Amino acid sequence: MKITLEVDVLTNNNRAAAFNRQLFEETNTLVINIMSSPGAGKTTILEKTIETLANEFRIGVIEGDLATEKDADRIRALGAQAVQINTHGGCHLDARMIAAVLPQFDFQHLDILFIENVGNLVCPSGYDLGQQHKVAVLSVPEGNDKIPKYPTMFMRTELVLLNKIDLLPYLDFDVEQAKEDLSCIHPQSKLLPLSAKTGEGMDEWLHWIREGVARCKKQSISQ
Amino acid sequence: MHEMALMGEIVQLIEQDAQMKKIKYVKKVELLVGTLSNVLPDALQFAFDVYKMQANNSLTMDAELIIHIEKAKAVCAICGSQYEPVTKIAQCPTCLLPSGNIVEGETFRILAYEGSLTHENYIGS
Ligand SMILES: Nc1nc2c(ncn2[C@@H]2O[C@H](COP(=O)(O)OP(=O)(O)OP(=O)(O)O)[C@@H](O)[C@H]2O)c(=O)[nH]1
Ligand SMILES: [Mg+2]
Ligand SMILES: [Zn+2]
Repeated sequence: MKITLEVDVLTNNNRAAAFNRQLFEETNTLVINIMSSPGAGKTTILEKTIETLANEFRIGVIEGDLATEKDADRIRALGAQAVQINTHGGCHLDARMIAAVLPQFDFQHLDILFIENVGNLVCPSGYDLGQQHKVAVLSVPEGNDKIPKYPTMFMRTELVLLNKIDLLPYLDFDVEQAKEDLSCIHPQSKLLPLSAKTGEGMDEWLHWIREGVARCKKQSISQ
Repeated sequence: MHEMALMGEIVQLIEQDAQMKKIKYVKKVELLVGTLSNVLPDALQFAFDVYKMQANNSLTMDAELIIHIEKAKAVCAICGSQYEPVTKIAQCPTCLLPSGNIVEGETFRILAYEGSLTHENYIGS
């Protein structure tokens, strides 16, 4: 017998994402899903971010990697709570993996939750985790052509951190071209050049986070 | 790489439904895949063949995967013309600007499956 289903393939993921989103909203937690290719500097950016913001906000981190606790250990070394998810070969985090570790966080006492996705410029972009913001990290050594080559990622992220600008003098990365490519694919998104190593450009990123937290808190007052 | 995980979603959704209906054997699955959905039909077929060989689901060894393709369609936000975009950056052939809103082509759905309650039934049909 033929059974008509008519369901989106990502139905189960989307249901879990809706559950996560509701929890984040009810507890006024700012949740940011950070995606990039391997080694673009996600963990380094998070380390520098936590070093500065730890006095202002209560921060939690979910680390997604194929294997090891290495990235979570780097975050824990700074005194922040980090939960590592190992995907064992899986190329992305999905909303059910996130839902499964949420009970480990105390959301009544958390302002920001960063989710560092598995290093991969393709697959993570297709999975909604329930976050309010998606941020991509692109690094100077990866080259100029990544934005047009991986449009699905950059079409779905509202902010692109262009990391490792301390290496610009040694490489032929064209920042203006990258800005133009991005505005062509996704006019509403923004490219923010920075260096997690030297700290250059980090202030604008931190400002963006502070604004995000303020927006979350304001919603709670107006409710 | 990604198609294997997506086929896992498909098999899981079908298992959920089949269990409710007490269906034991699934011999055909029909999908609708948009040309801009970022999934490759060949890779999906390969993933389906891998799942078929596994004993922990209801797919029969000779189960069939049918992939219907949804063509891409965009409507230009400036001039209103309809056209078939080649990529997600839908450049309007009239305005020559990436001004198109994609209205079709991003779908990735399970349309239907064919199953039976008993093995005899399956051989007989
Ligand atoms: N020169 C330079 N190197 C950097 C910068 N940021 C990160 N790195 C280096 O880049 C390498 C990778 O950084 P990670 O932070 O581990 O990158 P990641 O994106 O978390 O990597 P995965 O989690 O494995 O995907 C490390 O050796 C960092 O020290 C930067 O701004 N400038
Ligand atoms: Mg990392
Ligand atoms: Zn037009």
